[in-house]
Amino acid sequence: MKYIGLFFQYAAQYMKTRLTYRTDMIVEIGSDLMSQAVNFIFILLVFGHTTMISGWSRDEIIFIYGFFLVPFAIFGAFFNIWDFNDRYIVKGEMDRILTRPIHSLFQIVLERMELESLFGVITGTAVMIYAGSRLDLSFAWYDPFVMVLLVLGGTLVYASIFVLIASISFWSDSPTSIMPMMYNIGNYGRYPVNIYNNIIRFVLTWILPFAFVGVYPAAYFLGREEWYTYAFLTPVIGLVFFLFSIFMWNVGVTKYRGAGN
Amino acid sequence: MENMIEVKDLRKEFKSHSSRSGLKGAFRDLFTRQYKVVPAVNDISFTVKRGEMVGYIGENGAGKSTSIKMLTGILTPTSGIVRVNGMDPHKEREQFVRSIGVVFGQRSQLWWDIAVQESFRLLKKVYNVPDDVYKKHMGHVIESLDIGPLLDKPVRKLSLGQRMRCELAAALLHNPPLLFLDEPTIGLDVLVKLKIREFLKEMNATYNTTVLLTTHDLSDIEALCERVVMLDEGKIIYDGQLESLRSNWGEGKQIEFQFANAGVTKEELQPLLAELDGAWTPGDRQNVWIANVLNEEHVISEVIGRVAAAHKITDLKVHEISIEDIIRNIYEEGVTNG
Repeated sequence: MKYIGLFFQYAAQYMKTRLTYRTDMIVEIGSDLMSQAVNFIFILLVFGHTTMISGWSRDEIIFIYGFFLVPFAIFGAFFNIWDFNDRYIVKGEMDRILTRPIHSLFQIVLERMELESLFGVITGTAVMIYAGSRLDLSFAWYDPFVMVLLVLGGTLVYASIFVLIASISFWSDSPTSIMPMMYNIGNYGRYPVNIYNNIIRFVLTWILPFAFVGVYPAAYFLGREEWYTYAFLTPVIGLVFFLFSIFMWNVGVTKYRGAGN
Repeated sequence: MENMIEVKDLRKEFKSHSSRSGLKGAFRDLFTRQYKVVPAVNDISFTVKRGEMVGYIGENGAGKSTSIKMLTGILTPTSGIVRVNGMDPHKEREQFVRSIGVVFGQRSQLWWDIAVQESFRLLKKVYNVPDDVYKKHMGHVIESLDIGPLLDKPVRKLSLGQRMRCELAAALLHNPPLLFLDEPTIGLDVLVKLKIREFLKEMNATYNTTVLLTTHDLSDIEALCERVVMLDEGKIIYDGQLESLRSNWGEGKQIEFQFANAGVTKEELQPLLAELDGAWTPGDRQNVWIANVLNEEHVISEVIGRVAAAHKITDLKVHEISIEDIIRNIYEEGVTNG
């Protein structure tokens, strides 16, 4: 409960800081919306020439992509930890974090939030509506709730992979180069996994479960019953991986060496 | 009185990877790494009582920061026992840090872009301080540190002295019974230093706040602490009253003479100290010589009398040996004559 209160305090402060730089904010929102629009058009262009891949139609692939954008945007808003090593370990900011009575990872989430990233949710939804209307999908009354659950699961999957990589910083000095690579691998989750060979499919499902951010949960809304098991596993995988990453983080904190003064 | 800090055989080792030389060595490093285990803090033990103000001193790399970080729960000890305020700092970190305040001189606790009072407001939420307690306590702190006019300015627009006073206020926001200060007066001018010292004394008197202070500025320690703990190479080399440090190692007086005639030599001066157990050392300017003698009335007046009778002098100063000199001597010679 206390953490929720704190979250809103920080979010309010974040908005306030943003509002003090008024022109910056307007320009930023403008450019965010613009880049989301460009993104949207780009997706339509790229997929414009494909018709079917491994049994998936063009509109289905666009729908998967649209779904992927939603958890990815939420992840981007709150788990901005790609520069954790430089910012917190090398510069020693972790010292300050550890002298405050809140879980260290939660503090970093609060400090590094970037709410503009949430605009991606709008783009993602727009893409899904576009593709969905062309596919004549039918929705039940409970589907919005399933949507929320699956989006949260996907977000947790993304977050836990990046928290795990950030935790490596507690042991080793050089995980910075893994981060961009992970962003690339993350992109594979946007496409139907049965287009890849079995090894890649296995990795994307069980080792770096990026498939649970895109194709698996989206398959539920596309009515692809052969994938339903995976779709419903999404929140479970998300939770299990997230708990594991928190555990590794907590172990990492005890190995923290501090920055030399 | 109860103990606020109890440290027993505390040890922190850092593993550092030592690389072999040359390309061949680099290849071998890939497969078998050689690690050197360096103890940054080497089995230290001490206790601090509630309400004490203790100076924690040592040269760079003596293990001060590392031990402070173990006391504040930032680092996990390799071995040994730490109890601070009845808790294990690392194991019960989130509970424990509620009972301490920390100021790291080189690192800001405040948010850079937002006004000081907004930072305070966030910290108030973080520490869950009730409104009435906050108003009463912080009103007092803000007044004594004289930071009222700074509250609506963003931290990045403050001068170092102003920022430091705000940092101190932020560290005391939850009125902790124990305060760690790491170089709190680094780079500050004399007036701000005096204000901060005054304030710390007042906090100690009103709330019986325990203070552990590390600083390079020994005048801070002289002004605030009765007791010092001195570290060297990860070990405690002195733990005791500041005063006894002076009386054990600094019992002498230095009498500085400036002579009118050029070319006074040590040989000429030496007989003047006969039977008085002293020694001459050259001063920092020409024609200046310093007599190091015992701190006894008759010795001092005897020396001055003899020298003044034998040579013409233009200036005369009597110094007590400063704490800084004493500490430098201890580091150079070790604690042998204690």
